[in-house]
Amino acid sequence: MSPVSPFLQRSHAERNRLLPEPYQRVLIPLLVVALLALPMLGNSYLIYLLNLTCLAVIGAVGLNLLTGYCGQVSLGHASFMAIGGFVTAIAGETFGLPFWLAVPASCLVGAAVGFLVGIPALRFRGIYLAIATLAMHYAIIYLLTSYQTHFEASATAGISVSSPSLAGYVLSDGYDWYYLLLAVAAATVLFGLNLTRTHCGRAWVAIRDRDISAATLGINVPAYKLRAFVVSAALAALAGSLGAYFHGIVTAEGYTLELAILYLAMVIIGGMGSVAGTVLGAAFMTLLPFAVDAVGGLLPSAWRLGTVIYGFQEGAIGVVIILFLLFEPRGLIEIFRRLADYFQRWPFRYRELQSGG
Amino acid sequence: MKLFTHLLTGAGLALAVSLSAGAGSAEDIKIGYVTDLSGPLAGSYTPTWEGFELYMKAANDAGGFNGNKVSISLDDDGLRADRAVAAAKKQFEQEGVVGIFGLSLSSTQGPVLTETRKAGVPVATSFSAILDALPPAQPYTYSTGVVFEVAGEAIGHLAQRIVPNGKVVGMTFDSVGGRAAMRHNMEIARKLGYSWDEVIFPIRTSDFTPFAQTAAGMKPDIVVGHYGAGQNVGMIPALRAAGYMGPYIIASYGASEVTAEEAATLAGSPDNIYMVSRYVPGTADAPGLAALKAAAEKYGVSDPNSMHVTGWVLGMLAGAALEKCGADCTRDKLDAALASAEIDTQGLTGGPITMTAGDHYGPTYWGLYKWDGEQLVQEGDWLRRDAIEIPLQQ
Amino acid sequence: MEILVSIAVLGMTYALVAAGIVLVYKASRVVNFAHGEIAIVCGYLFYSAGRLWPAEGFFPAFATTLLFSLACGVVIYLVLMRRLLGEPTFVAAMVTIALAIIFKAAIVVVWRSSNLGIPMGRQILLLYPDGGALRLIDLVTLATGALCFIGLGVFFRYARLGRQFRGAAENALLASQRQVDINLILSLAWAAAVFAAAIAGVLFGSRSMLSPQSTILGLSGLTAAMVGGLDSLRGALLGGFLVAGAIYLTARLIDPALSEAVPFIILLAVMAWKPWGLFGTREELDRV
Repeated sequence: MSPVSPFLQRSHAERNRLLPEPYQRVLIPLLVVALLALPMLGNSYLIYLLNLTCLAVIGAVGLNLLTGYCGQVSLGHASFMAIGGFVTAIAGETFGLPFWLAVPASCLVGAAVGFLVGIPALRFRGIYLAIATLAMHYAIIYLLTSYQTHFEASATAGISVSSPSLAGYVLSDGYDWYYLLLAVAAATVLFGLNLTRTHCGRAWVAIRDRDISAATLGINVPAYKLRAFVVSAALAALAGSLGAYFHGIVTAEGYTLELAILYLAMVIIGGMGSVAGTVLGAAFMTLLPFAVDAVGGLLPSAWRLGTVIYGFQEGAIGVVIILFLLFEPRGLIEIFRRLADYFQRWPFRYRELQSGG
Repeated sequence: MKLFTHLLTGAGLALAVSLSAGAGSAEDIKIGYVTDLSGPLAGSYTPTWEGFELYMKAANDAGGFNGNKVSISLDDDGLRADRAVAAAKKQFEQEGVVGIFGLSLSSTQGPVLTETRKAGVPVATSFSAILDALPPAQPYTYSTGVVFEVAGEAIGHLAQRIVPNGKVVGMTFDSVGGRAAMRHNMEIARKLGYSWDEVIFPIRTSDFTPFAQTAAGMKPDIVVGHYGAGQNVGMIPALRAAGYMGPYIIASYGASEVTAEEAATLAGSPDNIYMVSRYVPGTADAPGLAALKAAAEKYGVSDPNSMHVTGWVLGMLAGAALEKCGADCTRDKLDAALASAEIDTQGLTGGPITMTAGDHYGPTYWGLYKWDGEQLVQEGDWLRRDAIEIPLQQ
Repeated sequence: MEILVSIAVLGMTYALVAAGIVLVYKASRVVNFAHGEIAIVCGYLFYSAGRLWPAEGFFPAFATTLLFSLACGVVIYLVLMRRLLGEPTFVAAMVTIALAIIFKAAIVVVWRSSNLGIPMGRQILLLYPDGGALRLIDLVTLATGALCFIGLGVFFRYARLGRQFRGAAENALLASQRQVDINLILSLAWAAAVFAAAIAGVLFGSRSMLSPQSTILGLSGLTAAMVGGLDSLRGALLGGFLVAGAIYLTARLIDPALSEAVPFIILLAVMAWKPWGLFGTREELDRV
């Protein structure tokens, strides 16, 4: 009785459904329930890893909207996160703003900087844009480092951020953070999905594919590009801000180019232009060092060649990126879709457009 | 690609396994060690780890502590705070370690210590140390390392032995620790009647010539370098090429005699290269080195240097505390043992390592060494600094 | 006097790195982000090869590094870049970023992140009146760099292969229909680029030092290449000197700590004025 194939769409509403395929309508609620129930296992290391993943998802969704959907390659993501972190630290410590004010403030500042950066970025495309954002990254980090060394005299290097309190309840525990981060990550994913399902997302895709044609279709290309920069910067600042509270410390040295590349890898490996893919990519890249660690731990001690194995961890990120780009350029989401397809059409080898009964 | 997907699944399974792990013989004493083994400073932290490991291996060979052997869980943090925290959590939550040792750069230590203090896990850091161990000492935090402020002052005093007065030029890179060290160095230098100038350069610089030339242009009587091993190797030859042939002090935040040797080779001459270090180089005349060298030879570590000694001394602290802790060692017992530790370093530094309830760092001894072309030779006696003399700037 | 020579030498080093980047870009429109890492790894290799056979001087080191760099370039192209020929250039750029990560990891795995310097050419030739000295390596850098640029210039203008190269760069499809072997051209481009990187790395390691952090050299070279124009060798030369001069003068005269940010300020300024660099060809910037 319900529409049997997602390929056959008979109305606009149908096209914009959040969960177009039937299996998704079962899987996603199950996933949500499972995630909520996970703390009962009592494995706080797992919860910590999931917290890191949620933080990564927030930032990665922002980058995907800018790079995956709108096609603007940005290497400056880490600097936006740095802005979020620093504004939070300064707002929280120097001005005493509470958590629920400092975080939105960071997002606003991040959005503003994204706007400022987006304007000159309109001039560039492709690799020139990447390098322009790279230059901007260094400029911002330099400014923040100067601030840190001249205004903060703490020898532990960086600004300490005290645990946030939400309506009187202090978030100090991994489990507390888990629920908050899960909620924010889910909200971010929903936000991203909503943006992509509307005219905004379609305009972005048009710009990514061929922006001259998009302009002839009447799309205000500069406005949409700016919007992409602003949204992505705001989300990055959100991630940076929450990260500042979560880790408890903010240092300019922590926001490196490697971090920006890591996020870019999350977007690419997850699948550019797919928010669900970004979640997978964020989880994958966050857990990768731990997985390599685990594999290294399984090797007998003699094989580990002392500490050389740790060098391999560093190289693993690069190897993974290359492997994905060569063999699975559409990302993890493509693997997932193939899997879903396989189960949906089994035992048949291809899907019909309209099912019989 | 199918193979690729299989590889991914394999890695995922390995991760899942590690999450549920908790292996090791039930009677072993489990301790953890987290440090930078693959990042930019691995060159300094790896030998420190090796020294620590050698001590523990030797101790195990001699029967362990209270009849139990030590098993160390080693993790790499790549100089990233979040990985350091994750590693520490894995160690104390899943593997049930009684204490964590090592840690890496001071900027990664803050978040780790926050978590370990919450969980009540004692941590003793190696050569990178932060003010937390100094009085009033934070709980569960100890260090046998080099606190920037203390080192800066020590160097300020020791410089007098080389050049009694004149102009000191301090060089550092743009980091909070380096600047802190310079600040204290400067205060002492000024108090002793020197004139002071400084050069601060970016952390990530690859070419040292402009900074060396600036420093040389200041016509110093002595130059002090407050940075890691690598920068010394680049700066000393650059200074010589820029025309400065006078004395240069390597401040040992991770530098060892290997640094001095490399720098001397590249500079073309071994003259006027000094080092201030808390621990002796591998070629010194200390009785404690005999055990270290024996272990090094047995386990295939060639040419132990002062960084190995640093790790070994941390091992001594850990070992003494574990011994004192008793047969069923718990975290609080280990913490108590560390807080009352009194280690005879057998000449590896100028005096014993003494911890008290309010001071988890203790008085430190700093030696001035001169590179004579073959090895570092100590000049004069050890300089003692008591931790209480540092005014805390918080 | 000292300042001029220092700027010239540093500039030539950056120009060599930039030249490698330009070679690859000219041929395939791919920006090689791994260039700095490759240069430093070749420097490390030179050091190790020199230590392995100390008696024969630096000859084995030269030979090993030369062979390795040429082979490395060809392998990178054949195994990686060739497969990406149809994809958007952003993908190729990401692959080079991943290569950079791998090369950097190699420094950790093979050389244990040690900080080394190549003890070659450090003899002092003459002293300057106001302090400092001219070293052999300074002259060697200038000479080698000049030779390379002259050689490349002559090659592109007069050699048959060079003209084919320019043809392939401009319009690969057309060139391939005129019996220009695109694979050969691109392999050659990569081999030459890695070779240039190796030279830069060795010269740099002899003058300064090699460490995992020295890979920042690549960034300076990239900046130099962009300032001069990504597809212009002349631009690479000029860009190298400009960037070196800016860093030097800022470090000496203004504030040493600012010298890190200066190349980027210059880059942003140049890109605002002439996005394609000072000598770059104006291209449709919609090749993502």
